[in-house]
Amino acid sequence: MSELADALANLEEDKVRQLVQQRVNFNADAMSVVEELRKGMDIVGERYKSKEYFLSELIISGEMFKEAMAMIEPGLKAGKKGKPLGRMVLGTVKGDIHNIGKDIVATLLTAAGFEVYDLGIDVPPEKFVEKLSQTDSTILGMSGLLTPAFESMKETVKAVEAAGLRDKVKVIIGGGIVTEQVGRYVGADAFTDDASEGVEMCRGFVKGK
Amino acid sequence: MIKETMTPEERVWAAINLQPVDRVPVMPMVTAFPAIHKGMTYAEVNKNKDRARQCSMEVFDEVRGWDGILYPGYSVRAAPTLSAIIDQVPPLLQPGRELPANSPPQSAEHCLLTLEDYDVIIKQGWRGFAEKHYSRILPVPEDKLIAWAERQLEQFKKDVIAWEEKGVPCVLGGGIPTPLMFFSTTRSLTDFTLDLHRRPDKVAEVFDAVVDDFIQDAFDTIKLTGLPWIMLGLERGGCTYYSLKIFERFELPYIKRMVKAFTEGGLITLLHFDGDWTANLPYLKDLPKAKCICELDGTSDIFKAKELLRGHMCIMGDVPASLSSLGTPDEMEAYCSRLIDTIGEGGGFILSSGCELPADTKFENFKAMIDTAKMHRPANL
Repeated sequence: MSELADALANLEEDKVRQLVQQRVNFNADAMSVVEELRKGMDIVGERYKSKEYFLSELIISGEMFKEAMAMIEPGLKAGKKGKPLGRMVLGTVKGDIHNIGKDIVATLLTAAGFEVYDLGIDVPPEKFVEKLSQTDSTILGMSGLLTPAFESMKETVKAVEAAGLRDKVKVIIGGGIVTEQVGRYVGADAFTDDASEGVEMCRGFVKGK
Repeated sequence: MIKETMTPEERVWAAINLQPVDRVPVMPMVTAFPAIHKGMTYAEVNKNKDRARQCSMEVFDEVRGWDGILYPGYSVRAAPTLSAIIDQVPPLLQPGRELPANSPPQSAEHCLLTLEDYDVIIKQGWRGFAEKHYSRILPVPEDKLIAWAERQLEQFKKDVIAWEEKGVPCVLGGGIPTPLMFFSTTRSLTDFTLDLHRRPDKVAEVFDAVVDDFIQDAFDTIKLTGLPWIMLGLERGGCTYYSLKIFERFELPYIKRMVKAFTEGGLITLLHFDGDWTANLPYLKDLPKAKCICELDGTSDIFKAKELLRGHMCIMGDVPASLSSLGTPDEMEAYCSRLIDTIGEGGGFILSSGCELPADTKFENFKAMIDTAKMHRPANL
């Protein structure tokens, strides 16, 4: 494992900044830096899974990843962009303005290599459908923290069906009170109350699992 | 129907004291559900609190009652001082104001306190800081804020009297967050988590500087409401968010200090756990016996809690919100019966909603919860 991946996995902020800056100074290939960062984030994910790390470490590593990506952004813009792992539309559903869980999962999905179209909070069904059509995304992620969100999620799934997109799109829902019962009610393909698990599920979707 | 030989108040106190009960007490955290069920909007609830309380009383009668009232009405309990208002009243977006009339109140978390504020708080304590800088958190003129809190308390007392005239005990006199919960929400989860990572000693200094003022704010409120329970708001310190190492340094010592003060002051502490606290539950054995209630929301493992806290602390909960709003009466009865059989075994259990009862709860599900408590007898009773 590279020193940079290792430093990110160990949440060493100064060291990550220094190593990324070195690579920028030496005009290193920006995509190879992204790969190193992703390897670091993968280790964070593994440590989270084994309960060595918690949500706090996902947040800290996510912030470090975002900062590093901002440092290499000019190189990324100039160079050849890699193919994303998958495209996904994400948002907190209509009537719900909670953003914390959604924002964390958006960062983790980006770090995992997904192209994430984050529509923000209080997103009506038609906006989700519009973005799915525009971007050819194959995953729809909906977040909510309140019970009225269940109805909004269900309406959104119906709107996706009505637009003829349901067969092409996997639907995952997330939030603190989401359960299997909610998943069934909404008509989702997967549910989770765990950001890291959500990323794994999305990886599974693009692998056809 | 189980033959009742205790009053609701006796039943609830027996559960807290880990003594035998005639049946398992049921005390859901009922807030806006009755008013919404009766056709009011959230905005109307805010404007007409008497009518909203009347809705609660109608629902209470329709299900033939439950054992205690945690929220007698829709007003806020906070002593009319700047520090108590700020640490006990989270900034919320309100229906009919920032949100549509039929939306529940919601919080949009922003970073309200700066890193520089930490140094000021360390020097001036919470009260000193709050008096000078409260407007950063609640941007309302001081006289208006105090007058608002006074009106809220007046309404609260009116609601309590109405329930007492009906012969139903109100128990919860106030609420307070732990320092971790408070600073996690006012700094924002991300910034506060970075603070813990980058400057843990500073955060500890801040917590030490505020905790006694938080305790005093809670007592000031209880003195005005006259009710002997204090709710300790706990969400961000649990094992969903942080390691046990962080919990042991930044949450547990303050929970212990606050509970000790509340216990010595004659209060019962309702430990209101949101999210998964399963890994933190063993530490609750360090808190005084039969002086706290471990209230779980359906996310922590309540069965593990029973194993750990049997004979030490009353457990309350934990009907999941999704079961109340999406389930069927049969599913509700099955879940509540299981709780009564396992968590109720040997006493020390209050059947309740996991956190507050969702406003879109199906009435028949709510009735099934109440009925199950009154009809389903645990094997050893």
